[in-house]
Amino acid sequence: MHRACRVLLVVIVASAASGLALRVQAQVAAPSSLPDWSGVWAMEGPTVFDRGTVQPPNGRAGDAGVRESPPYNDEWEAKYRKNIDLIRQGRLPDPITTCGTPHGFPRAMNLPDVYEFAVTREAVWILAENGPNIVRVYTDGRKYPAAEDLWPTYTGASLGRWEGDTLVFTTISLKGSKDNDVIVDRTGLVLSDASRVTTRMRKIDDTTIEARIVVEDPKALKAPWPVTKRYRKQPAGTWAWDYACAENNRNPIGSSGKTLTLGPDGKPLDKDAGK
Amino acid sequence: MKRITSFLFATVLAVAAGSQVAAHHSAAMFDDSKVLELKGTIKELQWANPHIWIQVVVEQDGKKTEWSLEGGSPNTLSRSGWRATTFKPGDVVTVRFNPMKDGSAAGQFIGAKFDADGKIVGRWR
Repeated sequence: MHRACRVLLVVIVASAASGLALRVQAQVAAPSSLPDWSGVWAMEGPTVFDRGTVQPPNGRAGDAGVRESPPYNDEWEAKYRKNIDLIRQGRLPDPITTCGTPHGFPRAMNLPDVYEFAVTREAVWILAENGPNIVRVYTDGRKYPAAEDLWPTYTGASLGRWEGDTLVFTTISLKGSKDNDVIVDRTGLVLSDASRVTTRMRKIDDTTIEARIVVEDPKALKAPWPVTKRYRKQPAGTWAWDYACAENNRNPIGSSGKTLTLGPDGKPLDKDAGK
Repeated sequence: MKRITSFLFATVLAVAAGSQVAAHHSAAMFDDSKVLELKGTIKELQWANPHIWIQVVVEQDGKKTEWSLEGGSPNTLSRSGWRATTFKPGDVVTVRFNPMKDGSAAGQFIGAKFDADGKIVGRWR
């Protein structure tokens, strides 16, 4: 190649790279425009995912007969009813009771204990003390990996952007529930591996962050399922701590699906532990 | 002032009892329609995640039984005034709890009253 051609090629490549950098930078919010979500936060209310439809009103996740009303199709409504029946029998173990897997998404937005929301130019990290769980939302303008480079995970892949003071992110590539290995809450809610969740998060006043979540799932739902969660700021100086779930887990899952209770000697106290 | 402080302490700890076992597993093994009350001696407070466990030795009819009472996570409880020293070995307490449905010597902690000074931890109403 002639020297002139090489110089021209270098100029073209440099220009292209420069343009690309500018385009990526244009999608990254300037630091001064990022909202202040500092501090420690706690979800309002109990861990029922869709408090707007829960029956009976104020029903607690895990209590017999408590249910919500997502727009399930017939097949997934039947799955949900089966889970509700297993809960009535005490035989729908919460998969996280093993302390071995994350809660998954969107359940990561529906946890007890506290949260921290770390906002940076390139990403927002939703840090849940319980689990612990981390949701990484990249806002640096990247694209999702190609389909062949993705695999289903508990928390999926989240890409976001800022619309003013609102973080909008979409989460894909979720594991979904296979044999109840991932649940959305302890009423027995489940979603499929086709689920896709769009979340709009905004600080609506000095002490409240709101997440408007829309779940889409062409396998399980007949329509988008909107759910709103709110997080209340905790007093200044509140600490979030290490949550090592396996440190002293005295509640293994028995062969029947029952959650057992171990005595101080490490043996099950339950009288029907072997059944 | 001392009385006010004691009242506040009891109130703060009572609030902590509201989020007992929500964090980690189904509570299906507990009968929350029943409350048992037993007097015993603290053997150990297991201050660790995912739940604290209060080990209480209760003597009834000349027979000693060790009860395992489950509470919330130390994280949440600590933010509500509990400490790893809230119960010490040898403390004599009356405890209230939702018992296991199958009658096993365990339950979901509700509250405790200390024999020595009447201090309340958890809910006591």
